[in-house]
Amino acid sequence: MDPVVLARVGNLELVARSVVDGFINGMHRSPYFGASVDFAEHRGYTAGDDIRRVDWKLFGRTDRFYIKEYEADTNANFACLLDVSKSMAFGSRGITKLDYGRILAACLTYLVHKQRDRVGFAAFDDDIVELVPPSAKHMDVTLHVLDRLKPSKPGRLMPPMKKLAETFARRGLLVLVSDFYEDPEAVLEAVAPLRFRGHDMIVFHVLDPAEIEFGYDQASAFEDLESGEQIPVVPEALADQYRSLVREHSEALRSKFAELRIDYALLNTRAPLDHALFSYLSMREQMSRVR
Amino acid sequence: MGFVAPLVLMGLGALAIPVLIHLIQRERKRVVEFPSLMFLRKIPYQSVRRRRIRDWLLLVMRLAALALIVVAFARPFFRRSELAAATQNGAREAVILVDTSYSMEYGDRWPKAKAAAADAIRTLGPGDRASLVFFSSGAEVAVRSAADHGRLESALAAAASGPGATRYAPALKLAGSLLAESALPRREIILISDFQRRGWEQTPGRDDVKLPDRTTLTPVNVASGETANLSVTPVSLQRTRFENHDRIVVTAGVVNRGTKPVTGTTLALDVDGQTIQSLATDVAPGGSSSVTFNPFTVASRNMRGTVRLPADGLKRDNVFHFVVSPSEPVRLIVVNRGGAEREALYLSRALAISESPRVELTARTPATVTDADLRLAAVVLVNDVQVPDELADRLTRFVAAGGGLLVAAGPHATWPAHAADTLPGLPGDPVDRTTSTPSRLGSLEYSHPIFELFRAPRTGDFSAARFYGFRAVQKPTGQVLARFDDGTPALMESKDRKAGAGRVLLWTSTMDLEWNDLPVKPVFLPFIHTVTKYLAVFTEPPASLTVGQVIPAPRKIPGRGAGPARGGTIAVAPSGARVSIETEDGALELGEQGFYDVRTQGAGADSATTLASNVDLSESDLSPLDPRELAAAVAGRAPGDPAGPGHGRPSDEAQAQAQRLWWYLLVAGGLLLAAETLLSNRLSQNGARVS
Repeated sequence: MDPVVLARVGNLELVARSVVDGFINGMHRSPYFGASVDFAEHRGYTAGDDIRRVDWKLFGRTDRFYIKEYEADTNANFACLLDVSKSMAFGSRGITKLDYGRILAACLTYLVHKQRDRVGFAAFDDDIVELVPPSAKHMDVTLHVLDRLKPSKPGRLMPPMKKLAETFARRGLLVLVSDFYEDPEAVLEAVAPLRFRGHDMIVFHVLDPAEIEFGYDQASAFEDLESGEQIPVVPEALADQYRSLVREHSEALRSKFAELRIDYALLNTRAPLDHALFSYLSMREQMSRVR
Repeated sequence: MGFVAPLVLMGLGALAIPVLIHLIQRERKRVVEFPSLMFLRKIPYQSVRRRRIRDWLLLVMRLAALALIVVAFARPFFRRSELAAATQNGAREAVILVDTSYSMEYGDRWPKAKAAAADAIRTLGPGDRASLVFFSSGAEVAVRSAADHGRLESALAAAASGPGATRYAPALKLAGSLLAESALPRREIILISDFQRRGWEQTPGRDDVKLPDRTTLTPVNVASGETANLSVTPVSLQRTRFENHDRIVVTAGVVNRGTKPVTGTTLALDVDGQTIQSLATDVAPGGSSSVTFNPFTVASRNMRGTVRLPADGLKRDNVFHFVVSPSEPVRLIVVNRGGAEREALYLSRALAISESPRVELTARTPATVTDADLRLAAVVLVNDVQVPDELADRLTRFVAAGGGLLVAAGPHATWPAHAADTLPGLPGDPVDRTTSTPSRLGSLEYSHPIFELFRAPRTGDFSAARFYGFRAVQKPTGQVLARFDDGTPALMESKDRKAGAGRVLLWTSTMDLEWNDLPVKPVFLPFIHTVTKYLAVFTEPPASLTVGQVIPAPRKIPGRGAGPARGGTIAVAPSGARVSIETEDGALELGEQGFYDVRTQGAGADSATTLASNVDLSESDLSPLDPRELAAAVAGRAPGDPAGPGHGRPSDEAQAQAQRLWWYLLVAGGLLLAAETLLSNRLSQNGARVS
């Protein structure tokens, strides 16, 4: 479904449901559904393990304590971290990056909620703007918060990420949605603490087609949405250099995230949301075996 | 060369704008919002390029266009000397207007006016033409568009001031029409006058004065110094009746137009050439006083009266002439039924006390009306009578000869059918209202002279009278002047009267108390008087007239003269000049001050009429008007240099021509801007292609 059409539908839950249900029904077999209850392996008991997880039948046969391990933790935490800095308010074809990210976050939240996982949400610019702690009951709150987000300030990743790393203490799955207008090194430095806390992370780099393709033709003054600074630009002279710089930036992010085993996907707001969901789910499949 | 708005030239500072655009703003045409300039900032930018002027041609065009526009708005114009040099080429059509009103007789005004006119004639160039117009209340062309100085000078030499009053509007209109006919490039009006304020202000037609384009008005003022003038006001005559003779009481006034008080000035009353009384009075400056003379008896027709003051600077307004005659009675015949003379009691009593006009009433029966009666009578009143055929025919002839006829149709009235055309309708069946509610007069034609007197509120209540009986009208052909409340005509008048025919009224009730109580109502008296006056075509002869007034030839009215006129009418002016007036549609214009004798040839000495002609006394007000005010009002601008007729100010059109330069500059600036736009587009396209 075209993101522009979805953006016009005011009800985020409806949007998320239609996207997710349509997506899931189109799959032959759910790659994820029910996988979490499968037995994985036994491991030896160590001090501090919950004695409820001891396999007593095996103890009866072997007189040793073994702990049962399952394929996944069925009630995992999920949180979507959405960049709401002013640069996200840019949109050249009817949908802004923020709207796209909003719908994406709503869809993922809905999808995860159907898994009966706990859902949470955080919006940030140069600080945390909104925070919904993960909970099985927080989908409605999350959608409500998502719905009334407004970009207001320039963004910086480092401070909010640092705070969020402290906030999301329990391991879970974090989806970071941003346009990453920072140096790749700085981005990585900001995101790394979350990853180091044990969170699984997926990063969606959302860009407008105009940012990727730079299809301007008239000489104009370009104004930075965040700082208000203007510089004269002759697009014809700069376009090629610009495009290569964007490409380099994206590749640098991809490689840097890969180093931290963070999945990175560049999303063009022109592309349907299915693409983003598919990226997410395919990654989840790869990560489905926890340890 | 000068500028109308030199301050606008400060706008030349705007020439720096294109330079600044070139240096600073050239590429900031459009602002595009972009999420982040992170990448763009990394690209090295040729900032030096925009600090250098690349398109010198473009810059020069922009600067030139701006400079042209600024100079255009400063409205450059050629100076007057340059313009005058341009406009003084070419022949001139001049109209010399000379004021001949009697105020020009004050002091040395008239000689000065003639000298100024002679000067104007002398300054005419070889190719110039001039018209000479004398004006007072009217304007007369003495010489029309002539190049011959001799003709102009001889016409001027023969000119004299007259008794007229100053009126500038007709003269200026005439001058305008004379100039409009001319093909010469320069047009000028030289107005020589004493410029009295009364000649321009509050005069009709002043707003219609429009001079042709490029016409210069040069006023030449011959009035100078302070003025002092006494004038007589129009007299008021009060007529009384004493022992069958008219007596007249004359009241006259004096106005002091000067700034000094006048004491002991004497007002004298002359009647038929003899001074009958002199009275002294004092007049304050700018004030007036009046005196009343002892009454004198009007012994004969056309008695000439004059009120005069001692002569002063302006003589013509020191005398006032008037004419009085014994009041002529209107002879009226009332035709009653035999033995019913008492029925005309109210009528005869009402008419007996009429003073203006006096009514001589003669009572007759149908059988006793003679031709001699009808010849002398002005009005016949047929009072509820059965009119025999023979009397009807005679009355028809009487009406055709100009007599007035009123038929009161009571219960006994009849009118022969063969003479029905004489009346506005025939008396029909009686309507009896004795047993029901009496009728009242419902609607009156207040615009008619009979009822005009009663138009104002509380000036006569006709509805108070009750009518118990009246006659319906058969074959009504005339105009209904009054109706009863049921719509039946009460008073009708014949329409479509032939020329010279008299007026005919039909009253559909009685003139006594038999059918109505109108005779005992207050409104009856004025009603009968106005009806009589209307039928007799009575007008009070004016005691005095004004110079310039046009009066119709005296009309023969039955009962006023002895028989019809057989020849033309001659008027003898005060100067002794004889003016012939045609009997039909003739008119006499009073051109002199004094007494006119108007005689109808072959009508005997009794028919002679004397008319008193006086000057317009408003002319005696010598308060001056600024000539520039008049010139500005006529031409819409200040007058030219009054020193001489050759130094006229340029016309509006010439001035507009001199200032038209700004228009060309503006167009040139606009064209340059258009060319600059085309060129800059071309250059920017080329530049884009190269990059």
